[in-house]
Amino acid sequence: MGVIELEGLEVRLGGRHVLSGLTGELRGKAIGLLGPNGAGKSTLINTLLGFHTPSAGAARVFGLDSRRQRAQIRERIGYMPENDSFIGNVSGVRFVRYMAELAGLPREVALERAHEALFFVGLGEVRYRKISTYSLGMKQLIKLAQALAHGPHLLILDEPTNGLDPIARQRMIQTLREIRNAGSIRLVISSHLLRDIDEICDEVMILKQGRLAAICNIEEERRSHRNFIEVETVGATDALSEALRERGCECACFAGGRMKLVMPDSIDVRDLYVAAAEHGVEIRRVHHRRDSLEDIFLRAMDLEPAKGELVRL
Amino acid sequence: MSVFKHEYHAYEGRVIPRSARIGVLVRYGLSEAWSSRITVGLFTLAMLPVIVDLVAIYLANNSVARMLVSPGSRFPLQIDDKFFLRVLSAQCWLALVVNAWVAPRLVSFDLADNALPILLSHPISRFGYVLGKLIGLFSILSLVTWVPCLLLFAYQAYTSPGAWFGPNLQVAFGLLAGSVLWIVVVALLGLALSSWVKWRMVATGVIFAAVFVPAGIGGVITGILRTKWGFLLNVPVMMTEVWQRLLGAPAVMRRDLELPDAAIAVVLLAAIAISLALLNARIRAREVVRG
Repeated sequence: MGVIELEGLEVRLGGRHVLSGLTGELRGKAIGLLGPNGAGKSTLINTLLGFHTPSAGAARVFGLDSRRQRAQIRERIGYMPENDSFIGNVSGVRFVRYMAELAGLPREVALERAHEALFFVGLGEVRYRKISTYSLGMKQLIKLAQALAHGPHLLILDEPTNGLDPIARQRMIQTLREIRNAGSIRLVISSHLLRDIDEICDEVMILKQGRLAAICNIEEERRSHRNFIEVETVGATDALSEALRERGCECACFAGGRMKLVMPDSIDVRDLYVAAAEHGVEIRRVHHRRDSLEDIFLRAMDLEPAKGELVRL
Repeated sequence: MSVFKHEYHAYEGRVIPRSARIGVLVRYGLSEAWSSRITVGLFTLAMLPVIVDLVAIYLANNSVARMLVSPGSRFPLQIDDKFFLRVLSAQCWLALVVNAWVAPRLVSFDLADNALPILLSHPISRFGYVLGKLIGLFSILSLVTWVPCLLLFAYQAYTSPGAWFGPNLQVAFGLLAGSVLWIVVVALLGLALSSWVKWRMVATGVIFAAVFVPAGIGGVITGILRTKWGFLLNVPVMMTEVWQRLLGAPAVMRRDLELPDAAIAVVLLAAIAISLALLNARIRAREVVRG
């Protein structure tokens, strides 16, 4: 069973389609939800949580339908929203305990796990302080602690490193890695910071304008793109990229004549020079490099999917 | 998960039933309300008339004590439906004061720091959230209204030398029904207005204004147009009529100024419906983080 299953999911808000025809299955231990601002990441999360009702299709979490089994889904989920979201006039431990009890934990267990969650995220020393006195980084961590305290099977984090300084960001990423490595919990992390996703996730879903641009396993993707080349050119880059595509290359073009190529085994780098010469393109620099999440993301952004179609990267 | 092992594991133990989670909201709501010294002060203030009424009942039913307190004069107080109408009116207005302080405390903190997306991401619905807050407020206001009123009624029934309980049973019903009706209206109004006003002190003022400003407008309408229908906006007048009818006490208004039951019911239902609509709109708007 997948962690998240989407079947032609459509969500309309205020009379316009915010999500359209999302179809796919996510099975990773840590799933990254990527996309530019307004791509529909938060809407997808809110739909999974049951805040938005799909206008068509279905979204399932651990096989549970988001429309009909909202309460069961929420019992299994810990949610850390993007913006400030807490009760400022209570202490950290009281807030986390409150949230754990709302999730269904008995009082004593909730208190015990609240303390443990706060120590786990690194707020043990300030757990009796009012949340309103916390720094921005602490407020992010208290949101993480409340999401963890009731022991969910899936942790949904919306922009978890938002507003954090580099040290706090690194600490947050380290904590999320520890959670992932412990193995009993799955992570869904929504972010527009590719580096965060790159460091934590093993699978990504990329959204673009409310549509699914790509789903890929990052490691598999990297393994399959060993023959990955970055080229700097001068001249008719579009014509060259078209010619390379005809020869079986995957090709993405960027500003300043930069091109990124994934070459099939049947094509040699020499063929690249030949094609460039045929189209009057000068190759200034060729760089073999490892495929990064940024490349995967940019390719997905570059390729416009037809409605309901998934781009193969 | 252990502090020392410092690693995370999902919880697999016992969970409380979903229906019982509203009780969590109630418990934390009550705790929040009573954490304020002003709440305790207002509650104490609301109990003072009850103590006075208790003494009055004691004196009314004890001729020796009456002689000691006011020797040579006949104690004029009669414990009847009019007495309990005064008791109920006083307690209900004091309940409004308590409500104006407590209701914003129950809601404003959740809204001030945008806690609703986290609260409602747990297995609790918007309806459950409002119900939890309403039960919390209802229980506090009950301690100020029908609970002391019925205790006074029971004490009067106990100390009265004659058969008092049976013939005055409608008074007990009226005390309970009148209080519950008032609590539901003011509690929903208090929660609804608190959810729309960011600052608690302002919310307290707005709750009073919502009751007394229409009363002023109603008075103007009644005075200028010489019609009784202006009283429909005058909550103090309208509720006094409701309580009087529920207790079976003598009429407090001239017959030509009395409002029909149906009209009062429509106004109260409209107030409840508007409060619910306001609450729903506000909570619905704040339950998700817009992205």
